[in-house]
Amino acid sequence: MSVLNNAIEFKSVFKTYGDNTVVDNLNLSIPEGKITVFVGPSGCGKTTSLRMINRMVEYTSGTILVNGEDNTARPAHELRRSMGYVLQQAGLMPHRTIVDNISTVPRLNGVSARQAKSQALELLNTVGLDESFAKRYPSQLSGGQAQRVGVARALASESSILLMDEPFSAVDPVVRADLQKELLRLQSTLGRTIIFVTHDMDEAILLGDYVAVFARGGRIAQFGTPEEILREPADDFVASFVGRDRGMRRLTFASGADVPIHPLDAQQTPWQQWQLNVEDGRPAGWRIDDRVIPGGSLFVAGGTLRDALDSVLSSPSGWGVVVNEQGQVLGLLKSDDVLEATERERLNRYGVSA
Amino acid sequence: MNIFDKTWAWFTADGAWTDSGGIFQRLLEHLGYSGLILFFAALIAIPIGLWVGHTGKGENIVVGVTGALRALPTLGLLTLFALWMGLGLTAPVIALVILAISPLLAGVYSGIAAVDPITVDAARAQGMTEWQILTRVELPLAAPLIFGGLRNATLQVIATVTIMAYINLGGLGRYLIDGLAVRDYPRMVAAVVLVAVLALVVDALLALIQRALTSPGTR
Ligand SMILES: Nc1ncnc2c1ncn2[C@@H]1O[C@H](COP(=O)(O)OP(=O)(O)OP(=O)(O)O)[C@@H](O)[C@H]1O
Ligand SMILES: [Mg+2]
Repeated sequence: MSVLNNAIEFKSVFKTYGDNTVVDNLNLSIPEGKITVFVGPSGCGKTTSLRMINRMVEYTSGTILVNGEDNTARPAHELRRSMGYVLQQAGLMPHRTIVDNISTVPRLNGVSARQAKSQALELLNTVGLDESFAKRYPSQLSGGQAQRVGVARALASESSILLMDEPFSAVDPVVRADLQKELLRLQSTLGRTIIFVTHDMDEAILLGDYVAVFARGGRIAQFGTPEEILREPADDFVASFVGRDRGMRRLTFASGADVPIHPLDAQQTPWQQWQLNVEDGRPAGWRIDDRVIPGGSLFVAGGTLRDALDSVLSSPSGWGVVVNEQGQVLGLLKSDDVLEATERERLNRYGVSA
Repeated sequence: MNIFDKTWAWFTADGAWTDSGGIFQRLLEHLGYSGLILFFAALIAIPIGLWVGHTGKGENIVVGVTGALRALPTLGLLTLFALWMGLGLTAPVIALVILAISPLLAGVYSGIAAVDPITVDAARAQGMTEWQILTRVELPLAAPLIFGGLRNATLQVIATVTIMAYINLGGLGRYLIDGLAVRDYPRMVAAVVLVAVLALVVDALLALIQRALTSPGTR
């Protein structure tokens, strides 16, 4: 980690409201070009800490450095224009069209209307919306679309820093999964410094290069890569917070690539009558006697061990279905093989041989 | 002849519109007074309303003051100011400005205060200055309520400017006061009709302007 530059540094930062200390001596370095996730229970000061970076909340004492410069060195509005901010509710301006919303910061910075517009149209594409959205108003968008526009607006500032406060928590799970994937895709080309607040541990693990687990009072209980935090929770609080599905979550970091793939007829034995229905090369449920039962989750070849395990557990037949990126059936997974792989993973993890 | 025929005759008499003291002159006077009064009322109410709505400071005072102003009897105020300052334009203008401030202030203040705080927060987080937030976000979004207040004030002022004739000034109120003095009821009916039509026409114009100024995104 020492090779990374720090985009943002909190140094002994305190925030109090009256007698209530909300952020208590926060010291934290946020590496450049990576996604750092703030995760923690409700009310522990994640939003407050995030908003102190762009001075939407003024801290009581301490120092916050942004790219090495004290963030109080210039007027708050200039600081804010230099970083994107995405809120939980998109917070678009209802009286302006989508292009105008995206162009807000460039226009404030004096970019010409034409240039700002063409950049906004590009950004619409970047976030996966086509140009027909340009002339619409925010009230004509779905929650997920509005959130994409929110991201486009934040990207328009062309700053290296992006602050995101639970940006995907107000949309349904399917859209959320989409947006998460898209953010990772974007980040792989943009390489911005992203600070992402969530209270969903799964989201933190999926998105974070680094995760800061907050405890009540804005104290950092642990800072590290998601894997480090799952492997070695620093204390009982972190352990209980990452708690419930910790074992399952760990499998997210193990590859399911070496679980053997069996041919489609592997499970057909005299005493087992399940048969995989295949239409156009794609799986379409399992047949037993004369009934067809919808299949479980699919394991995309090369996925994680967690996906492999889920495909086995969710399949009516007990056999996981392997597909390629295009959704074409490649074969089947056997539950024993998957369990064996988790066993190997466990032994590997602790450096013990079988 | 019944009263309607007589009123019609009054409207169509020779020189009823164009003579000195005719309808055109009274209409212009009436509009002039109303415009002057609304101008001063706006000068006072709009900045206060914007400031209170934007900062959220002094909300209770605004609510209390607009309520109290609404309760003041305008004719009483006019008499009081006329006794104090003498005849002339100042006394009735002040009395009517006080009347107009209340709906204007309420419209501006509540319009700004009703803007979704999330929108304002987002605008601030993008790096807008407070002035930019006020002029580019809050004002456009508050436009419907501000216009509501303005139209309200305008209707009240146009109706009430008639009392200026009571202290020897012009306007359509002249026909009421003079008609009453000589028991010329058709003339009084004509005055009422003129005031009502004027109010409706001005209100319709303001409605058109409001429509033109409101973003399709917020309709
Ligand atoms: N303006 C304020 N005045 C007083 N207390 C505040 C203010 N803003 C936040 N707080 C308090 O500060 C604490 C931290 O709030 P914050 O919004 O940072 O939490 P959070 O971690 O983002 O929670 P959540 O996950 O629910 O969004 C809370 O106890 C909250 O009540
Ligand atoms: Mg929060």
